[in-house]
Amino acid sequence: MIKEIGILLSTKWDFFGKLLLEHIEISLIAILIAIVFGGIVGIFISEFQKSAKLTLGVINFLYTIPSISMLGFLIPFSGIGNATAIIALTIYALLPMVRNTYTGMINVDAGILEAAKGMGSTKKQILFRVQIPLAMPVIISGIRNMVTMTIALAGIASFIGAGGLGVAIYRGITTNNAAMTITGSLIIAVLALAVDFILGFVEKRMQIHGKAAKKQNRILAVISLVLIFCILIVGLLPKKNKNIIHLATKPMTEQYILGEMLKLYIENNTDLSVDITQGVGGGTSNIEPAMESGEFDLYPEYTGTGWNMVLKHENQYGEEQFDILQKEYQEKLGLTWDVMLGFNNTYGIAVRKDIAVKNDIKTYSDLQKLNGKLILGAEYDFFERQDGYDMLSKTYNLLFASTSDMDMGLKYQAINSGKIDIMPVNTTDGQLAQADVVLLEDDKNMYPSYQAGMVVREEILDKYPQLHSALQKFDKLINESDIQRMNYEVESGKKEPRDVAKAFLLEKGLIE
Amino acid sequence: MAIAIEFSHIRKSYGDTVIIPDLNLQIEKGEFVTIVGSSGCGKTTALKMINGLYEPTSGDIFVNGENIKNIDMIRLRRSIGYAIQGSVLFPNMTVEENISYVPSLWNKNDKEKTKKAVDKWMEVIGLDSSMKDRYPSELSGGQQQRVGIARALAASPDILLMDEPFGAVDAITREQLQNELKSLHKKTGITILFVTHDIEEALKLGTKVLVLDKGEIEQYDKPSEIVQNPATDFVKKLVEKQRRACNLPDERLRECEYCGAYMLS
Repeated sequence: MIKEIGILLSTKWDFFGKLLLEHIEISLIAILIAIVFGGIVGIFISEFQKSAKLTLGVINFLYTIPSISMLGFLIPFSGIGNATAIIALTIYALLPMVRNTYTGMINVDAGILEAAKGMGSTKKQILFRVQIPLAMPVIISGIRNMVTMTIALAGIASFIGAGGLGVAIYRGITTNNAAMTITGSLIIAVLALAVDFILGFVEKRMQIHGKAAKKQNRILAVISLVLIFCILIVGLLPKKNKNIIHLATKPMTEQYILGEMLKLYIENNTDLSVDITQGVGGGTSNIEPAMESGEFDLYPEYTGTGWNMVLKHENQYGEEQFDILQKEYQEKLGLTWDVMLGFNNTYGIAVRKDIAVKNDIKTYSDLQKLNGKLILGAEYDFFERQDGYDMLSKTYNLLFASTSDMDMGLKYQAINSGKIDIMPVNTTDGQLAQADVVLLEDDKNMYPSYQAGMVVREEILDKYPQLHSALQKFDKLINESDIQRMNYEVESGKKEPRDVAKAFLLEKGLIE
Repeated sequence: MAIAIEFSHIRKSYGDTVIIPDLNLQIEKGEFVTIVGSSGCGKTTALKMINGLYEPTSGDIFVNGENIKNIDMIRLRRSIGYAIQGSVLFPNMTVEENISYVPSLWNKNDKEKTKKAVDKWMEVIGLDSSMKDRYPSELSGGQQQRVGIARALAASPDILLMDEPFGAVDAITREQLQNELKSLHKKTGITILFVTHDIEEALKLGTKVLVLDKGEIEQYDKPSEIVQNPATDFVKKLVEKQRRACNLPDERLRECEYCGAYMLS
């Protein structure tokens, strides 16, 4: 594992470097806002103590909201991406900041404050010349805690499409790449420790007395402010290229591959450049609203999902309803299914190849020939789901010799070694590419159809007609076994989604 | 003589608890008034009403003839020196910054003038100029009190309020500080109000002693009068020890039947 991390770090340093920079930016902005705003609130409530209880109560309450739901609440207001992440991080950073400032301020010796007052200081002079400087050590230690926490928490920001090292972690999880996840986490930990060390140094410097030390402190402060300013400027400068389209993908291996594939092709064949937000957490429910608000321009979607989740139809979707789907997308949402990619990501049933060949089984109905004789293996979930075991056995009137629960990975091992005969699968499962099985045809259309296609904003197509022409090259380009194989290469072969996508385009002659 | 401070029908109460029922007093300019009484007698309360840290429930206070209700409180406080018990120097500031605190509130831009004031008061109060850059935590208790007094005097006030400033220092240092404060009063001629619970200190320092009990004046007079002619039983009890102290030269100690030397012979 250590070796794998080493290889990852040395070969993909530009990838991690970019994420690290993004991570620093997001955290830094949140931290700065929290310091200024939280500091002001903390000072305010220490001056007007009556408001302290309520304010701390509200902030405490915000703090108890789990970060994932906080992000969920914010998406309708601030959309997907860095802004929401920064708002959420700022909210979490406020509590330690406000509380420590407040504690520091009210614990300043009352005798000293009365002395300052008795000598004729104005309220402002007491505050800035006596109370705040004396509260500083407590405030600084609060800042230290808050900064470490914010850097760690920024790791979840990628869940809603923001950048930062969370992207590596999340990608590692969805594409079954543990080394990637661990590397991302390690860099976050190292970053947090490094920043804590720097702040510890600042804390120490501030306690040193004497004129020379103060002068040095001032120089150091100016240097660090300039540095912070530079980082922010680099991060906030608008990118120069104007013809950018924004592509989003769901947190699924095949979508990571599709994202890279589209980016590669579009950038090679048009003047457009593609900004990908990979693996947006929550998938459709977060990407689709962002499409409508124009934050994203296109993303891979599945017809059945669009029918039920986006258009909120209750009935089951079949491809004969595609025209209605398309019409409603265009009229209600201003979005269009611009190209269908050619594969269906739905539930399926796979039978061991030797059994299928021997008994000539091609469809679900053919299973009647072996009714009550086959051993079924499936995830626990399959026996619970409404559209799982019960629906299958009822619709096709099937019985099995026995059934057993097993983990997804073990299921493939079991069928390859002959322990089970038949199993439910996802039609794009990477492992299907390697398994000795036959995928049967759902001849009674029991499962909804989930044809993959590119949903695109109509506005962007009007603006960039070249995008439409480029996308048409993907029409029915990828079949189920293609996508199974590519998923397998990423999930089990540990290849990069980008490399797999490139190899596929080369094979199809779409790039040179 | 002109009146520096006047209390006129001052009453101070917290709810039903009356601290000071009705205080009437005139303090002449240049007096060194020590205020003595048991704790809770209202001596600190009376002091803090002069610079407006406490507000009287009713009545008026005049400083240099002006009712303090009509003066800007910030200006009033800056014109009155204020030194209090214990180490209440600003721990985040050097000795120099502490002493120049009040002048710096006044004249932000005139740094030269402030610097001169600091040098002058450090010398007057007996602090070596090498201590300027030290912080309060690096000073002894006596040095801290000296800085506290220099800080109170730095803006050259004509009134100085002191609330048990020597309460926290050892006996030898206290003796030194008392002597220095007394000669300082002689040199400058400013009006000083000095709160203490130690009658010996009160009698030694004051040109006038104000004895308070339960917020009422028991006696306000010269130290000698207080000892020789106590006005009430309370005062009499308070100065019992001083009344019986003989202060005779060595060779005559045995003659006095009230002193320790007599009893041993």
